[in-house]
Amino acid sequence: MSLFTRNVVIALFITGVIIATVIYSVSYLDHQRIVELNDIQNRLATDTLSIDTQFALLEEAPCEDLTEGTALTHELSDLGDKLAFTEEKLGATNPEVLRLKQQYTLLEIRDYLLTKRLANSCGLHPVIALYFYSNTPGSCADCDRAGYALSYLRQTYPKLRVYAFDYDLDLGALRTLVSVEKVDAQLPAFIIQGKRSYGFTTLEDLEKQFPKSLFATTTTATTKVKK
Amino acid sequence: MVLFASPLIMHLEVFAYPFIFVSLFFEVFLLVTFFSSPARAQRDRKASTKTPYIAMIVPCFNEETTIRGTVDSLLALTYPKDRLSIVLVNDGSTDNTKEIMDTFAGNPQIQILHKENGGKHSAINAGIEMSPQAEFVGCLDADSFVAPDALREIISCFDNPRVAAATPAMSVYKPETLLERMQNAEFIFGIALRHIVAAVNGLYVTPGPFSLYRVSVLKEIGGFRFGHQAEDMEMALRIQRHGYEIDNAPRARVFAKSPQTVRGLIKQRTRWTSGFLRNVSYDYRDMVGNVRYGALGIMILPLGFIAVAGGILMFFLGLFMSGRQILSTILVTSGVPLSYTLSPRSLEIFYFPISTMLILSFVVTGGILMFMVLGKRVSQTPGTLVQGMLAYLFLFPFIAPFWLLRSFADVTTGHKRSWR
Repeated sequence: MSLFTRNVVIALFITGVIIATVIYSVSYLDHQRIVELNDIQNRLATDTLSIDTQFALLEEAPCEDLTEGTALTHELSDLGDKLAFTEEKLGATNPEVLRLKQQYTLLEIRDYLLTKRLANSCGLHPVIALYFYSNTPGSCADCDRAGYALSYLRQTYPKLRVYAFDYDLDLGALRTLVSVEKVDAQLPAFIIQGKRSYGFTTLEDLEKQFPKSLFATTTTATTKVKK
Repeated sequence: MVLFASPLIMHLEVFAYPFIFVSLFFEVFLLVTFFSSPARAQRDRKASTKTPYIAMIVPCFNEETTIRGTVDSLLALTYPKDRLSIVLVNDGSTDNTKEIMDTFAGNPQIQILHKENGGKHSAINAGIEMSPQAEFVGCLDADSFVAPDALREIISCFDNPRVAAATPAMSVYKPETLLERMQNAEFIFGIALRHIVAAVNGLYVTPGPFSLYRVSVLKEIGGFRFGHQAEDMEMALRIQRHGYEIDNAPRARVFAKSPQTVRGLIKQRTRWTSGFLRNVSYDYRDMVGNVRYGALGIMILPLGFIAVAGGILMFFLGLFMSGRQILSTILVTSGVPLSYTLSPRSLEIFYFPISTMLILSFVVTGGILMFMVLGKRVSQTPGTLVQGMLAYLFLFPFIAPFWLLRSFADVTTGHKRSWR
């Protein structure tokens, strides 16, 4: 075997090892992301169930003891961001992503119901927005823009609670929610403070659908970034 | 960040993977060959004490600003003066080159020839004819300067009787601007590349600055030809076709003036690249993929084509993907305050966009930088390399596609350009 041939064979082998190592490392990191999402989801499920159980045990909500509901919503929103990133990276059809998304959607629905119960029992007035989108190519041209605008509003106005749902997700509870809330397949769809609306034009138009009280609670620094 | 994932779009980067694979494989091959015995022997080789008769030919066309320095560097070579002849060939210069050349007329080591303009190859051939007693002839472009020990370093390559030509270690003469530093880093990468590829006899160019030839072989295979404005490439390919070897002397340092403007650089590189494409496509096509020519035929020449094609494709791919990303970002974020869009998002490691493509790109880029360091160390080239490396990383990818595209267009349309 000539020196050239020998070196080609060695180089091919080493190149293969490098590429395999990189692919394995990236896939390991992706797996770790899934594991992290699972952990967050399990913790949230336990916390949500705990609050639910407290409600059931005490009949009347001990409002002062249930303020962690707000913290849960924040964590849920952080989980949503991470899930969205993972979905973008691994693909919307990835089985693990789909499984996590279904669990996440269930958690969202439970948190939504819990928030409504807390509001009724404790006299709270959270601003709630349900947002229905679709990731199916061609079925929702404005969903990216609507999602981004809602992300901005959620970050700028902490009192706002956004629950985003993939309209096409195959999940019984979601289908029931869609049916109960009478949401048509014209996406993006919003239910803001119980009022349905469809389509997205501009951030200004979207803001008009929220109660003025939402914007009044903003800090001065946040108000500055608002047009 | 968009609240929820956008529809999955086609991942065009899949087209880049073959080129990333080829680049990585070639770098690993270079590294393996760097540590193999022929390359080690090349590095360990001592400067020769033999003193065969050598003629150094300096072809000039309008080199009034550099010719004196070039000749002075040749006169300063640590080689017996009675064994080294310097032949200055004025190829019909229209500036003061003739007058400056004539100031060397009294030097017994120097012969001067003024002739009608006929192209670089004709000037070198005329110089060879004026040195009938030379065993070896060298060629030094009139904008290049040699280190004093360069000749002793390069002549040692010819201890092997199969070696017909030897190449030096080229870097940029006193790089100062960012563009010059970028070219210097690239040249130093070239030092490592030539040193390693020579170990498997894969060189296909004997650069104008200070390559040396065995006269007996030149007589056998014929003198220099036009070679599509790349006479040094044509000669190297002809040497290889005749079964001879081309060696490299990694410590035979020569410093060349480099283009000082992007436009000048693109013009020079268009000449080099189209010279490669034309020589290999038209006159030496039979060597491509031919096992008879070993590493050169099977790997180096095909890779030359792949590099041109890959450079063009990656450029358009990068342009398209960046354009699409920018457009999509503008569309999605329009109407939302810019301060929100530009505000830093979470620094959690979770969001770090690690991908196979990203890591492999880093590995390949790291490989290029590593070979630059190796080239500098092997050749003992003076000066700092850090700025040049940075300039190479951030400038080269945006300039190189222009000469690749231009060369490709010239070759496919048959367009011929002037030398300068």
